[in-house]
Amino acid sequence: MTDVDFRQSSYPVPGPQTTNLADILERVLDKGIVIAGDIKVDLLDIELLTIRIRLFVASVDTAKKAGIDWWENDPALSSRASRNALKDENRALRQRVEQLESQTPDEASEK
Amino acid sequence: MTERGSERSDANATYVFAVCWNPDPSAFHGLSGVTDAAPVRILPLEKLTAIVQTVRACDFTDEAWQVRLTDRRELERYARAHHDVVTAAASSCPTVPVPMATVYHGEQRASEALGRESDRFHAALERIAHHAEWGVKVYAPPPPVDDSIRAATPSPGLRPAPGAGLAYLDRKRGVQERRERSRHEALQAAEKVDSEVGLLAAASRRLRPHEPRLSGEQRSQILNATYLVADHRVEELAELTRSLSGRTGLHIDLSGPWVPYSFVGEV
Repeated sequence: MTDVDFRQSSYPVPGPQTTNLADILERVLDKGIVIAGDIKVDLLDIELLTIRIRLFVASVDTAKKAGIDWWENDPALSSRASRNALKDENRALRQRVEQLESQTPDEASEK
Repeated sequence: MTERGSERSDANATYVFAVCWNPDPSAFHGLSGVTDAAPVRILPLEKLTAIVQTVRACDFTDEAWQVRLTDRRELERYARAHHDVVTAAASSCPTVPVPMATVYHGEQRASEALGRESDRFHAALERIAHHAEWGVKVYAPPPPVDDSIRAATPSPGLRPAPGAGLAYLDRKRGVQERRERSRHEALQAAEKVDSEVGLLAAASRRLRPHEPRLSGEQRSQILNATYLVADHRVEELAELTRSLSGRTGLHIDLSGPWVPYSFVGEV
């Protein structure tokens, strides 16, 4: 059992003294009264991110040893990955265009 | 939803941490909040008080958050800063936390938006006054050891006796069944923990168990639940979890008191 703080102060909730990040994220990201902010990450994103971040923060090192590195390629977690996804798509599209352009004269001569 | 407003890089915005009844303003001395640029302060509403901080709007856009949330260190810094302010507020009066990343274009906008929700805030504050949130995590015992391989190893130089393969498969199946039974029993015991603690609590929520493969934690988490418990029942709660741990043989982690983050949303 973890240490439990039984201070009998008149107002009692200063929070566990040592708290791990997963426990805090679990609460500050998607709990509390949700009110629409003017500038704010979409709640849906927060919900998705919470699940992933909770796994992510657990132990990056252990995960890497196990060959699990999805966060590096997951656009929701890595801004670099989302740029890479765009680059990849771009490259694939260029290849396709080149392919199509190179085919056109042959198809034209067949007619 | 995200609205785009002031795009000027020097525009100020108002970051909201929590809403409470009559906080002690000195509770926030020495807290830096989410930025060093301005102090954490109180914003009086009609019958409520918000805990806010003036921030630069350009540091809190959707894009800025997306980048921040992908950086473990930054994420941790913001999460702890937010949590520290919420916790400080709760040390002097009933406090309803607002999720991290709630920002308005200015003090006026924040007052309007929070004022519109004042009924919800009052209902939540009444519900959580003199209560705290307590987390309970239950871990499965280690699975039974697979001794089928050692038992089935034939003596060197000898051909396996007739029927050895079948016996091996039987043993293998036996281990599998014991493991399933052990897991099933642990899950049932965890349900018992949830229902007994639930009887003592004013409300309860199940959270997603933390992923065992990635947590670095060898034990597998089979229950991650959180409870709203009246302050005068906290010692009972500690006694109950100790006794449940003894009766079920499961390892039970109790964490708290937390500001009741999980019990203010759907009032």
